[in-house]
Amino acid sequence: MLYSTFYLGETQMGLPIPSILEIGRGFDFHPVRGAPEVIDGLINLRGKVVTIINTGLAFETQKVLASDESRVYILKNNAELREVADADFDIETSPDNIGIHVDRIADVISVEKEELQPVPANINHPFYKHVVRRGNEFIIILEPQKILNLNENQELLS
Amino acid sequence: MSDTKDIKFNIYNPVITYEHRAAFDLIVSHLQEIFPICNQGKCKALEVSDDPQKQKQINDLMEKVEFFSNSLITITKVFFDQLYRAKQTSSQSISQSTAMIKIDMIERNLLERTCDVRWWALEKAFWECITLADQNPDQLTKIIKPTRKAPAKQSGKSSKAESDLKNAIELACTRLEDIRNSYTLYRDLVIATIDGTVVANSNAERRDSILGTNVSDEEWFQKALQTKDGTEYFVQDISKSKLEDSDSLIYSTALRANGDEQGEVIGAMGVLFDFQGEGQIILNDYMPQDRSGSILDGWFSFFTNADGRVIGSSDEHFIPSGDLADLPRRHWRLTTPGEVLVSNAIVCGNRSLVVSHKSEGFDEYKGLGWTSHLVLPESAMFERSEENIDYGISPQELMNSKLIPDTNKQTYQEIQRNKGDIQLISINGIILATDLGKAGTSFIPIFDQITTTGNSTTGKMEELLSEMSADMLQQNLKALENFSKQAIDLIDRNLFERAADVRWWSTDHAFWEALQNNTEENFEEASKRLGIINASYTMYRDLVIADSNGRIVANSKSENRDKLKRMNVSEQSWFRQGMQISRSVQYGVQDVCNSDLENEETSLIYCGGILENGEREGKVLGVLGILFDWENLVCPILEGCLPRIKNEVVEGGAAFYMNDDKEIIATTDAENFPIGQEVNIPAENMNLEAGESASGIFTDKGRKFIIGSSKTQGYREYKGLGWTAHVVRPID
Repeated sequence: MLYSTFYLGETQMGLPIPSILEIGRGFDFHPVRGAPEVIDGLINLRGKVVTIINTGLAFETQKVLASDESRVYILKNNAELREVADADFDIETSPDNIGIHVDRIADVISVEKEELQPVPANINHPFYKHVVRRGNEFIIILEPQKILNLNENQELLS
Repeated sequence: MSDTKDIKFNIYNPVITYEHRAAFDLIVSHLQEIFPICNQGKCKALEVSDDPQKQKQINDLMEKVEFFSNSLITITKVFFDQLYRAKQTSSQSISQSTAMIKIDMIERNLLERTCDVRWWALEKAFWECITLADQNPDQLTKIIKPTRKAPAKQSGKSSKAESDLKNAIELACTRLEDIRNSYTLYRDLVIATIDGTVVANSNAERRDSILGTNVSDEEWFQKALQTKDGTEYFVQDISKSKLEDSDSLIYSTALRANGDEQGEVIGAMGVLFDFQGEGQIILNDYMPQDRSGSILDGWFSFFTNADGRVIGSSDEHFIPSGDLADLPRRHWRLTTPGEVLVSNAIVCGNRSLVVSHKSEGFDEYKGLGWTSHLVLPESAMFERSEENIDYGISPQELMNSKLIPDTNKQTYQEIQRNKGDIQLISINGIILATDLGKAGTSFIPIFDQITTTGNSTTGKMEELLSEMSADMLQQNLKALENFSKQAIDLIDRNLFERAADVRWWSTDHAFWEALQNNTEENFEEASKRLGIINASYTMYRDLVIADSNGRIVANSKSENRDKLKRMNVSEQSWFRQGMQISRSVQYGVQDVCNSDLENEETSLIYCGGILENGEREGKVLGVLGILFDWENLVCPILEGCLPRIKNEVVEGGAAFYMNDDKEIIATTDAENFPIGQEVNIPAENMNLEAGESASGIFTDKGRKFIIGSSKTQGYREYKGLGWTAHVVRPID
């Protein structure tokens, strides 16, 4: 499967390509009063209202700041996922389109199933699904559903 | 988006290097490969999906890719233009500074000559000799032309008048020789009677042929007689004179009765400056050399006079003195002092950059309307620097530094944006293709190819930008090195003059007479004489004479007299050095320090030994100390060597001198580089050998600076005090 990778700080992470609706930049985030800090705001994507999560804050690290290099991944909702032709994967996202704001994007990589390694216990995190090795680098494959359904991780919304 | 209509350096311009043309071809051909790929993508969209929305999405993506590829092709053209413009601007700016440094260097030197000649004309031995010669014309003829008339010695009868005149001539010659020995910049010095007969000269080797020569038809002589008082002088531009075979630059003034500045004109003094020797040093300086020390082909430096004729050249073969220079006519006669003209022209068969800078004189010396020219091969402006030194600064940091013009930074950002856009389109294309399932997989290689092409072309452009920023760094470092060399050269030359002054003044009759017959009247006479010197030369705070016990017995400034009379300087370095002197060609110097001879923070004191009977060699009677007006004179020198852009000093630019102990002794920025402090500059800049220059990068108080440094190599007899000059500018 193909994965689109990006950087959060110095950590390279990846999302499965089929889970992505599109990647964009230069969006205007509309702030929402009362929303948790981890939410950058809302955007209008061709008539759809999409909530944008600041991935830096979701990981409780440095906030992702809007810059020339920062990008927003808009993820498919579950209904859109099911429309993907010849689907042969078990990915879940969320009932709504949600976006994640990242520092910068990197390459698209093709990963075979057997390359997907379990996350070592000592660095485990609710959002991590697998680890992939590329040369001397490690890429963390994320579990989109976990990030997108932050309400399951109440402490992040506090 | 970038605009191509004002492009000056297109890829067909002959100055574009082969490597850059190859890089341009590579980038453009790669970008053009994207268009068939996009067409392929559009066709495939029809093949793999019946959904018009999906087809449109793919078509939109392909068109966006085409748009950005086109944009990158345009940027590439603009980018090469900017790359070459930046190099051209930087090279021209350095060349202009170099041409200016050279003419400034010679004009400062010539200002000193105007002081010299006016002061020397007051010398007792000269006006006494001329007075006697005017009174005894027959005896004069006998003495100076013994072969044509009956030789005086052979006659056996020498009248008292003749003998007095002979002694006076001998003394005048001796004193002229003393001057020439102290100030080694002169080929000869002469004095002539009112009818133009040369009666004494300094150059013993040429004496037989010079004495008796009549110079009444020479301009320098005629104009000297017309000077109104002792403050006036005349300078005769480079021309032929009977006094020597080579072209002469002669400074002259009148000799007056009793050495009185307002007295009746009784004759003239002419000093023949070694312009060719001095000019050669300056013209050859700051020129790039090959390993054997020869100036590189196609580089020329020369001066022209007000008529546009060459008066000194770094290459007499291609640009001979006396000729009109092989330059566009408008470079021959610049009209306004300080005017600068830059052209591209064929010079000596090469496409060259020609920079001309007309002199503005220096201080009250208005100069002779000379112009300094620098010619360099056009290709030299665009050559890559051979030096590849790692200064520990990343290309990214350099690209964002103040060394890079804003237009280049904007292009860099535009390239980055386009690169990002192409990358984004490609990934979105891959996402779209994935949504099409198996049918969409045929799109993946297309988008991969687009990503690869986008990355490789923008990568190549980044590489070129990085090359450009490295070149800009090198050029700026070289410019700072030149400024630091100028700073150390100027102070060396200035201090050479001080060393010459003190040696000559130490031989003044009023001083040794006062120390031999130490009466109040004699000390007063000595003080008066010191006062006249200090009024003629503006660069001294005070001049003092100490007797052999270290007691100050005379000084130039009456307001300091009471304080100094109670002072004993026997423990001070300048005095101790002076008391070791036994020959009039020796001098001593006390490095910049705090001295109780004056209230200023820093003093620089030169000293000469006052020898018995004013002899060239003998017992030292006391010491003459001259206090150089350090801060007031050194700061303008340093300020003149600061880095500038369009005549404005670069923000944060500073220049300072360090002594042998690595402490700052003069500065243009007392806040950031204060006197008495050490600065954390790179070791290569700190530990230089005599005459060496270096450049580098350092951080001070969190700011990153580039620095050029040069160590003294002395100048002529002045060996320097181990000082270094440093010129810095912040880059972040």
